Amino acid sequence: MLSKIWKNRLEFYPFLCMYLFWFLGSFVSSLRVENRPGIVALGLITIPSLTLITIAAVKTYKELLLTGDTNE
Amino acid sequence: MRDTSYSVPVAQPNPEFDRKFAFVAYGLLIIAIIFFTYLHYYQPQVLHVPSNVDISTWENPTFEQTCIYDRMTEAEKEKIRSKGIPGTDISSLLLYGILSIMGVILCFLHARRHYGLWMASCFLIGSFIFTGLQESLIILSGRFVWGGGAVDPYVFGTYWFPTSGLWFIETPVWVCLCWFLIAYSCVWTSGKVFPKMRLWPRALIGGLIAMGIDLWMDPVLTSPEIMKWVWAKGPSILIFGIPYSNFLGWFFLIFVFAILWEWLPRLEKRWGRAKASINFLLIVLIADIAVLAALLISGTIINALFRAQGLIIPPGW
Repeated sequence: MLSKIWKNRLEFYPFLCMYLFWFLGSFVSSLRVENRPGIVALGLITIPSLTLITIAAVKTYKELLLTGDTNE
Repeated sequence: MRDTSYSVPVAQPNPEFDRKFAFVAYGLLIIAIIFFTYLHYYQPQVLHVPSNVDISTWENPTFEQTCIYDRMTEAEKEKIRSKGIPGTDISSLLLYGILSIMGVILCFLHARRHYGLWMASCFLIGSFIFTGLQESLIILSGRFVWGGGAVDPYVFGTYWFPTSGLWFIETPVWVCLCWFLIAYSCVWTSGKVFPKMRLWPRALIGGLIAMGIDLWMDPVLTSPEIMKWVWAKGPSILIFGIPYSNFLGWFFLIFVFAILWEWLPRLEKRWGRAKASINFLLIVLIADIAVLAALLISGTIINALFRAQGLIIPPGW
């Protein structure tokens, strides 16, 4: 599975970017915010967006299984 | 006609034109960035750039007139007054710049493979100008017009970005780059999840995905510890301490830009690639002004409706 993803990594770049953006821009940055416990809980608001990004990533993987590698 | 699968009509490759277009367009963009970066650092009086060190010099708005003021403890206010804005050191500026460039490279490679160099470049340059100009229009109009009280300052409060390495007008380059990254990824995600959907609802979902992430990111990045941008008080509706117009703007910009970009092959069919490129950028500029007008009108209506009630969701953060 991992070798398949690695071989076709370019197809996952938009999702990887969004995960990284969410993780670094929101999650890691929120750790620096003091005295505001609510701000981490506020992260729950991103669940619908992250769910859609995850669905898209899984769909991409399934398509690769059906169509074969795109980098060949 | 209803799409049967998620496939933006891809323009035929024209390597010679595409390379020339990329060379000219990126060249002009780099010249603009160099010019505005020089203006920001060496001629700050031209655009009235607020000081990052001496907060007491802030005008329209003053420190007390910013949203962040209400979110701060007394100790934090004192720290900002004595030490200035956090994150002005070179390592912090480099971190944001490098991370955004890495993300842009990854998304651009993906876009180039699926749509070709011309369409990928149009997305990058178009989105860069679209967001950079939109943000700068709001920042500068707030700084020079609304803040001065010439027009109702409560339509929407202005904001500004205190720190960045490179600048496009008054918008940090890393913000424009991140906007490309988010817009492209969200539009692609939306198309992947809902491949049979028409362009308009697909663009709408792309805008909502971006807005969902932004609903958390903005309260974090505008916190007193990070202060990547500063909002002036003004709008009667705050969502998590941020004026609602910010989230509306995010949604609108991605929604409108996704539609404009997917029209590119049609524009090419009508005018040819060279004229389509120029017309696309012109349409982007007109759309920028239209989105600003839409935000102003909606701001006027919403403020007129809710100012008396003082609706704030939730009260301060």
